[in-house]
Amino acid sequence: MIFLKQFGSELRKLFGRRRTYVGYGVFLVFELILLITFQLQGVKERQMEFMEQNGLAADEYFSSLTVTFMVMAFSLFLLGSIYFALVSGDIVAKEVEDGNMRMVLARPVSRFRVLLLKFLAVCLYTITFVIFVGITGYAMAVVALGADGGMLAFSPKMKLFAVYPEWGPAMLRLAVAALLIGVSMCTISAVGFFFSCLKMKPATATIMALSVLFLDMVLQEFPIFKPYEANFVTYKMSTWLYAFEAPHFPWAKLADNFSFLIGLDLTLFAIGCVVFQLRDFKT
Amino acid sequence: MKESDERPMIEAKNLRKRFAGKEALKGVSFEVKRGEILGLLGHNGAGKSTSLGILLGMVAPDSGEAAIDGLSVQASRSAALAKVGAIFESPGFYDYLSGWDNLKILTNYSGGVDEALLADVVERVEMTSRIRSRVGTYSHGMRQRLALAQALLPGPEVLLLDEPTDGLDPEGIKWFRDFILDLRAERGMTVLFNSHLLAEVEQMCDRVVILQQGEKVFEGRTGDLEDDHLKLKIDAGPPELVDKVLAEQGWLRQGERIVLPKEADAADFTSSVIQRGGWVREVSPVKRSLEDLYLEMSKGGGR
Repeated sequence: MIFLKQFGSELRKLFGRRRTYVGYGVFLVFELILLITFQLQGVKERQMEFMEQNGLAADEYFSSLTVTFMVMAFSLFLLGSIYFALVSGDIVAKEVEDGNMRMVLARPVSRFRVLLLKFLAVCLYTITFVIFVGITGYAMAVVALGADGGMLAFSPKMKLFAVYPEWGPAMLRLAVAALLIGVSMCTISAVGFFFSCLKMKPATATIMALSVLFLDMVLQEFPIFKPYEANFVTYKMSTWLYAFEAPHFPWAKLADNFSFLIGLDLTLFAIGCVVFQLRDFKT
Repeated sequence: MKESDERPMIEAKNLRKRFAGKEALKGVSFEVKRGEILGLLGHNGAGKSTSLGILLGMVAPDSGEAAIDGLSVQASRSAALAKVGAIFESPGFYDYLSGWDNLKILTNYSGGVDEALLADVVERVEMTSRIRSRVGTYSHGMRQRLALAQALLPGPEVLLLDEPTDGLDPEGIKWFRDFILDLRAERGMTVLFNSHLLAEVEQMCDRVVILQQGEKVFEGRTGDLEDDHLKLKIDAGPPELVDKVLAEQGWLRQGERIVLPKEADAADFTSSVIQRGGWVREVSPVKRSLEDLYLEMSKGGGR
């Protein structure tokens, strides 16, 4: 009960910031821009041509579901990674910088619990944010293209090409994918959180988190590392795309990759906790 | 008398701490009895905040131990801090939230408090009319009152105050001092008060511990600090005449100041100078500063 009260306080702090809502607004605008881009004659034609080349009726598959899939994949990986690193880089370091942490640590609460509350809050925030992007992306796509049609999910890098003619199964996969993207994005938040626990400014924590992930993304494209690309963190973060594999849901592949990501998140949390535990807080 | 009544409420035992190779505390020990107000006096860097940090478990000592009501802060921090409220010089609130939300959030870390109690404390610190406003809109004085409110929740027996009156106007300082003294009178609260202002400590504390460069240089009753000499700032002339009068009275000159025994009358000096054709533009008492105190202690080898 006390834990839930404290968790509520943590969420109150997180959602009390104006910047949190600015983020939602920015994402809505970004989704809208992507949606308009996909509607532009040249872009739309290329997409439809690609579908027809693959034996699909473009009128049926250039649908709200397909566009939602593309909007989620683009917006979250382009803007989401920056945004989640920003929020998680702030979560501890900003409170230390502003002196809030001293006020909290003057209370009879363990440092581990303070960090656990923050970590859970930032994970919940990340997952709900992704779901928000999914829902608003689909709502906008429905307004623009209508609710009918099937779904095409494709990703050359992940060797994915999946077709869902029916709305029900497509929506189910989309919903599972949104949840998995949320868990993937928690890894960005965990990296940001880890740096936030170290003795550094919030902006530095954010930059460090983004740098590590960017480096991971670049390195896997080097020819020397190409055979091992499946072991890179950002590659594993992209395995949410497996949720669209048909006809059977690839439980084993997803469990394999996501257990790695969750394990990594917990390891970063644990190391962050140890470092934080050893720090002195003084005026 | 119960054993718990005799036990010191706050204990610092041989605290040592180094920061980046520099010794911040060199084996400092002190105790605060139940219901006592102890002043921890010293300049910036003397080790006051480090001592307080160790008492709150925010700073790990290299050696030594701190205890609150017999419970070691290092061994069982949460239990020891359950009876403690703390105020810092610049309290870090969540500026984008209201004062009320800040209090709820901070008290939730202590297990939460009843809203009626929260409202009572807010009223007591005279913040009721602004408690729903964003803390970002508060003045420094209001922030300190909010800090006091959070320190009083859920109901501590010990208050640790780190230069809480810094930056307050004289009215604010008096309000704060009276509030703390009332608290002690009503609840028998034990208070550790960090300050670099000698006058502040003299007015509020029963006893004082003076730290200098991480070492305890004095511990005793505040009354023991009382100056047995009067110091005056003088603007008189001509200089030869002033020196002659001072020499006759047996008074000491320290630059612009003269030092005379407490029972001496400054009017004797003024009349002597004027009677002999000299002039006196100003004779005003000089308050003893912490520097003076340090100087006296180093001359006297401490007390």
